[in-house]
Amino acid sequence: MKNILLVLSTSRTSPEAVEYALALAKKEKARLITLFIMETEIVSEVFEIFSDIGFTGDKPSMRLTEAMMREFRQRGYEELKKIEDIAKKEGIPCELVIEEGDFLKKALWVMDKYGIDSAVAIKKRRSAIASYFIRSQVLMLKEKAKCPVEIFQEE
Amino acid sequence: MNISIDRRPLWLVFALKGFRPLFFLLLGLFFWYAISMPTPSGLSIEGHKIIVLFFIALALWVTNTIPLAITSIFVIMAIPLLGVMDTKETYALFGNEAIFFILGAFILSAAVMHSGLSSRIALTILERFGTTPRKLILTIFLLGTFLSFVMSEHAVAAMIFPIVLEIAKELDLKPRKTNYGKLLFLSLAWGCIIGGVATFLGGARVPLAVGILKETSGIGIGFFEYSLAVLPAVFIMLIIGFFILLKVYPIDIDSIERARTGLVAKNKALGNMGYEEYLIGILMGVTVFLWAFFGKDLGLANIALGAVVVLFIFRLVRWRDVEDYVNWGIILMYGGAITLGSALAGSGAAEWATNLMLGSSGLRPWAIIAILSLLTLFLTEGMSNSAVIAILMPIAGGIAMKFRLDPKIITYAIAMPAGLAFTLPMSTPANAIAVSSGYLSVFDMAKAGILVSLSAWIVFNLMVWVYWPMLGIR
Repeated sequence: MKNILLVLSTSRTSPEAVEYALALAKKEKARLITLFIMETEIVSEVFEIFSDIGFTGDKPSMRLTEAMMREFRQRGYEELKKIEDIAKKEGIPCELVIEEGDFLKKALWVMDKYGIDSAVAIKKRRSAIASYFIRSQVLMLKEKAKCPVEIFQEE
Repeated sequence: MNISIDRRPLWLVFALKGFRPLFFLLLGLFFWYAISMPTPSGLSIEGHKIIVLFFIALALWVTNTIPLAITSIFVIMAIPLLGVMDTKETYALFGNEAIFFILGAFILSAAVMHSGLSSRIALTILERFGTTPRKLILTIFLLGTFLSFVMSEHAVAAMIFPIVLEIAKELDLKPRKTNYGKLLFLSLAWGCIIGGVATFLGGARVPLAVGILKETSGIGIGFFEYSLAVLPAVFIMLIIGFFILLKVYPIDIDSIERARTGLVAKNKALGNMGYEEYLIGILMGVTVFLWAFFGKDLGLANIALGAVVVLFIFRLVRWRDVEDYVNWGIILMYGGAITLGSALAGSGAAEWATNLMLGSSGLRPWAIIAILSLLTLFLTEGMSNSAVIAILMPIAGGIAMKFRLDPKIITYAIAMPAGLAFTLPMSTPANAIAVSSGYLSVFDMAKAGILVSLSAWIVFNLMVWVYWPMLGIR
């Protein structure tokens, strides 16, 4: 059985990409592996701003980042639950994975672990200037992945 | 397999990868070049050296390539090494009253947070007054404001954020999709920002500005004196800010019942108010009263440190708790900024720079204040609020002298707008947390933030023309 990976994250969601991944898995009679990555870099950035610029103590900054991680985890579970429900209804074998850490590293790790044949990922919306200076993680994923990666724009 | 090729120019790829070493190399080259240039006429050798050091500190504070506090350490170390001031004199500036005032205020604020008193106040007020969607937004907005009158606005934002996040969750608001989600987080951020400029306690920026003023000109500003001068502007900005919030993002939900149920449950779970909370509340109230009415006689720092001693006498807080809540980097940052300001003024460099920039300008004093406050508002959107004060305050004395203005006006024109960053998330923790929540984008914040920033500038300048002359500040 083929394995199709749908990569979602805290800052990358798209109903269109979810729909496409489900349709692809159904057509290919494949297993859909949905990965939700909680990006710790967003939380680290906030911690640094509070600590280095706001001079807030460690405890309030930690509480704040813990609250953010809880929220991100909750969002991940909700997103994955929705996909699982649709997959069940459509008779698509589905596996849910939730991971915490760097987007690129985690996505590549799951690709290797599950022997992924095809992947669907979502690219963040960025201004032309920002795209020029900051390389897209999703484009890097496409470059480094051993399987084809279909890219959708974030909504 | 599709392979995407990085098509950016090779120099850009290398430059981005080696940004830090390249930046420090360029900074070092600039330092070497600028310091070996002949000293401009009218400027002392010490003045020449401190101006070069000022530009290095400026580059480091603006880019934030190393923590702000570390830039300050570098400044303190470099001043005696460059021969601008001797070692004893340089390090003695660390004993500035403003620094010990901030230290005491932060320890008191740590006790308030550690005891749970601040969370209790927040939950009680939200439960009591946040009864409708509109009232809940107003309550969060005002709660952030009033708590920031007595505690650091950043600490207040960090404390209220998890509560607001749970409210958004209980209301089942979809990130970035609903106006109400945007309103919840913007009201939290902007409430804290506006409240943070009202007193010496909000962002600790004001004591820094006042400390630099005192070191450079010998003029002091009292706790009550400052608040009396800025409070009307704060209240006008609250009204305008709330109006703009609701105009740009009209409320799109009918009920907040589910969130209210959550707030009631959370409040109940706190139990009865304990003895420690009562004592800390009384101590905080008495301290603020003493700061406001006896600050000039007793000394702001003495009152703050006295209150800290009382905290420990009654065992209301342990040293370990204080360490968890206080970021000691602030002492280094402020110490360095005051030292740099004092060296710039003492060497005559600040006056020389002011003459060079504004020497032949026929600007009227009101235009100077308008330009300075606008420049401060603009700078504070892109860099740390404290760094803006550290950069602009040293020249304040020179500007005041040149245009025969009360130095206090120039201090207010920098200290107050420096805290009013409404548009971008990078420089103000409260804005950063609002955007990071995912309920609004940078664009959502900027759209309404530009309007609030512009209003703040107009309100500030109206105060200068209309209200301050009534207080004798001209």
